[in-house]
Amino acid sequence: MKKIDRRKFIGNAAVAGLGLAGAAALIEGCGRKKTAEPAGLPPVLRGAPKGRKLKAGLVGAGGRGTGAAINFISAGPDLEIIGVADVFQDKIDACRERFASFGLPIPAENCFTGFDGYKKLMAIEEIDVVILATPPRFRPDHFLEAVTQKKHVFMEKPVAVDPTGIRSILATAKKAEAIGINVVTGTQRRHQEDYIETYKQVASGAIGRITSAKAYWNQDHVWFRLREPGWNDMEYMIRNWNNFIWLSGDHILDTHVHNIDVVNWFMGKHPERAIGYGGRHRRVTGDQYDFFSVDFDYGSGISSHSMCRQIDGCANGTGEIVVGTEGYTNCQNTIWDLDGKIIWKFEYPPDENGNPTNSLRIPSYVQEHMHLVWAIRTGNYVNEAEQTAYSTLTAIMGREAAYTGRLVTWDDILKSDLKLGPEKIEMGPVDMKFEPPVPGLPVQV
Amino acid sequence: MRNRLISSRLNKRRPLRWIFTGGIITCALFLIAAKKVISWTSTDKYCMSCHIHPHAEQTWRLGTHYNNSSGVVTHCVECHLAPKGKGYLYTKAKHGLKDLYGYLFKDSADINWESKKLIENAKKFVYEESCLECHQNLFPVTLSKEGSDAHLFYTLSSDPPRCINCHLGVGHFDRSLIHARDTSFGVTKSAEAVVFTEPAKVEKFENFTEKIPGTGVSFRMIAVEGGTFRMGSPDNEPLREPDEGPVREVSLSPFWIGEVEVTWDEYLAFFRETSSQGRTEGQVVTSRKVDAVSGPTPPWGAPDQGWGKGSRPAITMTWHAANVYCRWLSMKTGKKYRLPTEAEWEYACRGGTQTPYFFEGDPKKFTSEGFFKKIFRPDTSNIASYVVYKVNSSSRTAPPGQVKPNPLGIKNMSGNVAEFCSDYYSESAYAADSVRVDPRGPSEGQERVIRGGSFKSDARDVRSAARDHTKTKAWLTTDPQMPKSIWWYSDCIDVGFRVVCEPDSQILTKK
Repeated sequence: MKKIDRRKFIGNAAVAGLGLAGAAALIEGCGRKKTAEPAGLPPVLRGAPKGRKLKAGLVGAGGRGTGAAINFISAGPDLEIIGVADVFQDKIDACRERFASFGLPIPAENCFTGFDGYKKLMAIEEIDVVILATPPRFRPDHFLEAVTQKKHVFMEKPVAVDPTGIRSILATAKKAEAIGINVVTGTQRRHQEDYIETYKQVASGAIGRITSAKAYWNQDHVWFRLREPGWNDMEYMIRNWNNFIWLSGDHILDTHVHNIDVVNWFMGKHPERAIGYGGRHRRVTGDQYDFFSVDFDYGSGISSHSMCRQIDGCANGTGEIVVGTEGYTNCQNTIWDLDGKIIWKFEYPPDENGNPTNSLRIPSYVQEHMHLVWAIRTGNYVNEAEQTAYSTLTAIMGREAAYTGRLVTWDDILKSDLKLGPEKIEMGPVDMKFEPPVPGLPVQV
Repeated sequence: MRNRLISSRLNKRRPLRWIFTGGIITCALFLIAAKKVISWTSTDKYCMSCHIHPHAEQTWRLGTHYNNSSGVVTHCVECHLAPKGKGYLYTKAKHGLKDLYGYLFKDSADINWESKKLIENAKKFVYEESCLECHQNLFPVTLSKEGSDAHLFYTLSSDPPRCINCHLGVGHFDRSLIHARDTSFGVTKSAEAVVFTEPAKVEKFENFTEKIPGTGVSFRMIAVEGGTFRMGSPDNEPLREPDEGPVREVSLSPFWIGEVEVTWDEYLAFFRETSSQGRTEGQVVTSRKVDAVSGPTPPWGAPDQGWGKGSRPAITMTWHAANVYCRWLSMKTGKKYRLPTEAEWEYACRGGTQTPYFFEGDPKKFTSEGFFKKIFRPDTSNIASYVVYKVNSSSRTAPPGQVKPNPLGIKNMSGNVAEFCSDYYSESAYAADSVRVDPRGPSEGQERVIRGGSFKSDARDVRSAARDHTKTKAWLTTDPQMPKSIWWYSDCIDVGFRVVCEPDSQILTKK
């Protein structure tokens, strides 16, 4: 993958998604290929089954939020977006325009701006599902409100930016489980058939016992926004959220969490401790690092080397490698023996003309929504909040190890009272220093 | 022929059949009767026919297991016996026999009902499985943030606390058992007649009354002459523990020590002046370079347990908090206040005596432990006038006026509340000590020494040589904050401290 451009990607997904909505309606939901595996693996579906109409509200109408909303309606028949909440009116307008252009208008009276817009949206009785796609700093509060209002939840990763938020997610996940509220998260690799099949191979011993891993998300610089006249501190930070630690959690959470999540999944556990490096050389705005390198120690001598970078003109690539006593895998589709010979490969479905392809028919961004709708309509309960909270916390542990230069243990980070961001979230000036973290202590001269 | 044989066999069997049928009917009747008896003896009415001790029924009716919006009433046996099918009959028999024995051989008025409320005792007759039998959803949607954090800790912990560690007052209402952050604690103070502007001026090494400037709070300091004493207990001292030896000669420089344990009045003066909102801020004080002292956060629950403050010893503060208190007091008074070393503590406690107590008596006669003491009452003569301990304390602290002082004029060295020392605890500290002049204990360790025993202690543990130590993890079990407080113990109600003041050399030469 050369460069991730969210907006471009969403454009493609939207087109693909709309096509799928039609296709899924034709299949009428009878195309469920496999049931959930005993190991708790998600089902691989061709479309969500038919059932009661599900109305969804979108919280966070930016690029990913609008994209997720489109993914949702593409997942199967009788799925609608009927309301939107966002801090900014212009984001709501853009989202509504987009849906209107599909002939699926969202009524203006169901759209709410401001920091408490999500509460008004979730108070709407007829909403069954909410899609949470704001910057992750706000996710724990949104998730709690959603479960309190008994809405099924799709929420984007990462699910929080600090341990305080993670503990909130963990508790809310248990509240959701108690009352049967389904929760699917945006760690889409877990819903990809190729990953799932590779996981099954590894779980049944294809590479022997796991001895180490590598996870990497190295890419060019990501989007940023320069401050425009008339924007107050809070508005500027939220419009440029992807560059502020307190809003995004830094890119080790925002993007690299996908790879970290895969390694945790294949290892079957989370790491016990982390030591890490990181720094900032090329970033233009905000206070984040632009590279991290973290050693996640899983105990028993097993480590995963995690690296992520957002700098132009460097060796780039994203993915995971898991090495065992008898072979290794890229987790996605291929297994090699220790001599580098391919011993297993996932077979991608041929296209309509019967030509071989190297992609899945249904994008994983849509597959995860099919899973949610399937769970709601068939009663096969799903709740991915805890596993994604633990993967997010793993990333937070790595981040704090890099920021401080210290060894950070799982127990330290799980119990930490670190809470990022200003005490009061409101528009206006914000009295905060935004200096990138510096590890360790200065040399005494 | 064949028929006759059969019929004669049948004839022979008939009585057997009658006996068999009769047996079944008897058994059935017996079972029905037994079931009736079991359910009758499990009614609230039956329980309360014996449990007439003060407030058992009233506090139950006031508690949330009776007085709640749902109208559901939780009955005695639903908490005080294991659930049906999970040890119900066994626990019923066990408690039944114990109660029967008490009913026949004990006088209800002599039983220390107050002590049954203490968590360590309540655990013996409130069943965790019974809590969980009804409370099956630990994460109701309405659960608060603090509750969520606490229940998360409960589910994630490999060695979780009991439900009643936090929810002690739910069965029997008690106003002082708040399980919440008490932001109003110690904030308001009553008008003080005198406000000291200056600390006490001390010219000579003798007893003096310290005054805390800016407050009306004062306290007596007793001058303890330097000298040499035999620290620890000899091998032949009754009921001693191995960590009290070997006995060795220790020399000490002169010091002042508080006449009484630091009172709530004294501690609250510190709390009001230094209390801080965030723990991060509080942690900064561990650095010696900081000159402004930042002190405790609002406590969790009621630190005084609802027993009253004033001259009662302050309790539930952490060792760290006690240490910061001494630094604050030093800043306020310009003197050198600190926690006593373990050697100073024992030297001051003994006041020149080398006997098990600083008064006459035999630990074996005073102790309530052992089989015979259950039948014959322990001797309380003498000890009860000097020490607030298990037998005479009503399970709570006492104001210092209730006891006689030791030979140096110091009160409550033994009993009332156990006291922090500055030393790290080590079982083998005495054997390892090669200094023997003003020893300060091991250079590193996990837990600190506490001495003197408390209102909860047996006579054995209030001996002058008896040693104990802090138990940080256990004492913070139910603190729902993450990380846990560095200022308040959530699960320790019988430890406080007393201060020592170091005289400077000029004062000593003026003597």
